[in-house]
Amino acid sequence: MITGDFQEKVDGAEACPGSVTDGGRFTSKLESSEQRAWLGRFVREVRGDPIRIVVFVFLLLTTFVMLYPFYFMIRNSFMSSSQYFAGQGFSTQSWTQLFSALPVWREMLNSTLICAASIAVIVLCSTMAGFTFAKLAFRGRGFAFVAVIGCMMIPVQSIIIPEYVNLAHFGLINNYLSAILVYGALGTPFATFLMTAYFRGLPEEVIEAGLCDGLTYGRIYWRIALPMARPALVTVVVLQFIQIWDDLLVGLLFLQEPTNRTITVGLAALSSGRVVSIPILMAGAIMSALPAIAVYLVFQRYLIAGLTLGVSK
Amino acid sequence: MDPNSELGTTRRRHLRLERGQLDSERVRAGLLLMLPAALVVGVLVAIPIFQAIYYSMTNWNGITSQWVGPSTYMTLFRNPTFWRVLENNGLLLISVPVAILIPLGIAAMINQRVWGWKIFRSLIFLPTAISWVVIGMVAVRIFADPGAVNSLLRAVGLGFLHRDFLAQPATAILAVALTFVWSMIGTNTIIFLTGMSTIDPAIFEAAAIDGAARWSTFIRITIPLLKRYFQFSFVLTVITAFTALFSLIFIMTGGGPDYGTTTLEFFIYQQAFSVGDFGTGAMIGVVLFVLLFGISIVQLRLLRGEH
Repeated sequence: MITGDFQEKVDGAEACPGSVTDGGRFTSKLESSEQRAWLGRFVREVRGDPIRIVVFVFLLLTTFVMLYPFYFMIRNSFMSSSQYFAGQGFSTQSWTQLFSALPVWREMLNSTLICAASIAVIVLCSTMAGFTFAKLAFRGRGFAFVAVIGCMMIPVQSIIIPEYVNLAHFGLINNYLSAILVYGALGTPFATFLMTAYFRGLPEEVIEAGLCDGLTYGRIYWRIALPMARPALVTVVVLQFIQIWDDLLVGLLFLQEPTNRTITVGLAALSSGRVVSIPILMAGAIMSALPAIAVYLVFQRYLIAGLTLGVSK
Repeated sequence: MDPNSELGTTRRRHLRLERGQLDSERVRAGLLLMLPAALVVGVLVAIPIFQAIYYSMTNWNGITSQWVGPSTYMTLFRNPTFWRVLENNGLLLISVPVAILIPLGIAAMINQRVWGWKIFRSLIFLPTAISWVVIGMVAVRIFADPGAVNSLLRAVGLGFLHRDFLAQPATAILAVALTFVWSMIGTNTIIFLTGMSTIDPAIFEAAAIDGAARWSTFIRITIPLLKRYFQFSFVLTVITAFTALFSLIFIMTGGGPDYGTTTLEFFIYQQAFSVGDFGTGAMIGVVLFVLLFGISIVQLRLLRGEH
């Protein structure tokens, strides 16, 4: 709060117009009604430093550019094919046609099942390995850590061909299991990295207390460490959900039947068919994007935490 | 003495007695807990990369293979199509600074904390949640003729430039690069915002007292302090450009027209699953891996040099 006082002083003296100062952010706290404070801040903003108004307008424009595709999808999905070419009109026809052009619900279910199973694999592998790498010292652990984490650097495309041939050899193409295993394996290195970093922050005393209570290391992992790792777990789950739900390549190769493919693969197939109308495609795009957007909106915080962890470690 | 410390000593003595037994239990537990991750990653990631290296030196159609030797790489390097594809990767690399600097500017603006900045932050980050397939499907219509880009050109009096941007190689790769830059904005903005929030505000206050202008504060103080974030964002952006655009290219252009938008990662897919030449596909995969590995090593060196 020292900063707050200071900024108010800078504001008052107008020593440095607006650089790091905060408009009416601190003075407005004095207002009794919160809503009035909110509006007051806006009024002060508009009256204040012209550069801040320019910044505001720029941010508005940027937001428009970032959200334009969403507007485009929604607007065009509510048109019929002919209305789309005419560039005007409103119709829900494309939405009803979507469900006959694409087994949307079936594919969404496939996506959900595959996401859930792959994430279960990732969570199990990464928390167990992360706990070991952080807390259970033994010879060879360093090598194992580097080997698992190092696999983060291998791009999917570099291994996808041998992977395809191997899994085809075991007759797993068009079987959920192939996609689940591949997604699980691809997600585990980064998740392990994240979990190791998290478990390193766990005090050694917690483990010792568990040992004194007669718990085995396995039970300490399951009963103590895992429940304490909840925030990191949420980050792993959210990151992986968005990644797997949105992936095309793995699904495209391993799940080729309309009955077992994911929504993203179904959408890509529909799109490359070049027969279906654009409004139907846009309706499908919205359906496929909704779950990931919902997860994003609820767990944004965790997504950011996972993203920026790469810098701090 | 308080009872806690006494308890602590007994506990320690107790532990010391059991040290030997505990050691062996720890090794056993550690190996057991590590096993699933090691197995999954080993079988499904590590082994395939060695297979890729082996098969890259063979004639392989997915079923039978004949050993050829490292000369396959010479054949690839003499293939003009390979260089054409690599050129596309190079063109994407040129767009990387743009994909970093635009978000840096946006982050600096959000960091001014103008009215509604939290909402702006959320909305600008929102496209991160949608798939490349969806982004690609919208991008196709935006760069087509008629489409949003052409309308925009007409509106600013550049209507004579109008065309289907995906119909020619030069403009198609530009369209892919622009879409890529657009979709990196959310992620990179968040990275820089996080970086800016770690800077002690006292530094800016000191600069303000010294009468430093806003611009020079940004150039002389903010940017140098964000060095690590620049490096992270650079690596992430390059990795995305080289390994995450498969779906975008698949949807937007299918690699065409005429290899105009085929990058290494897309070339792998084409060679293996369209042409049926699994050996060449695996080989390009190895080239891509080596390329990214090189970039990561350089990055690590830079980081280490600092400490």
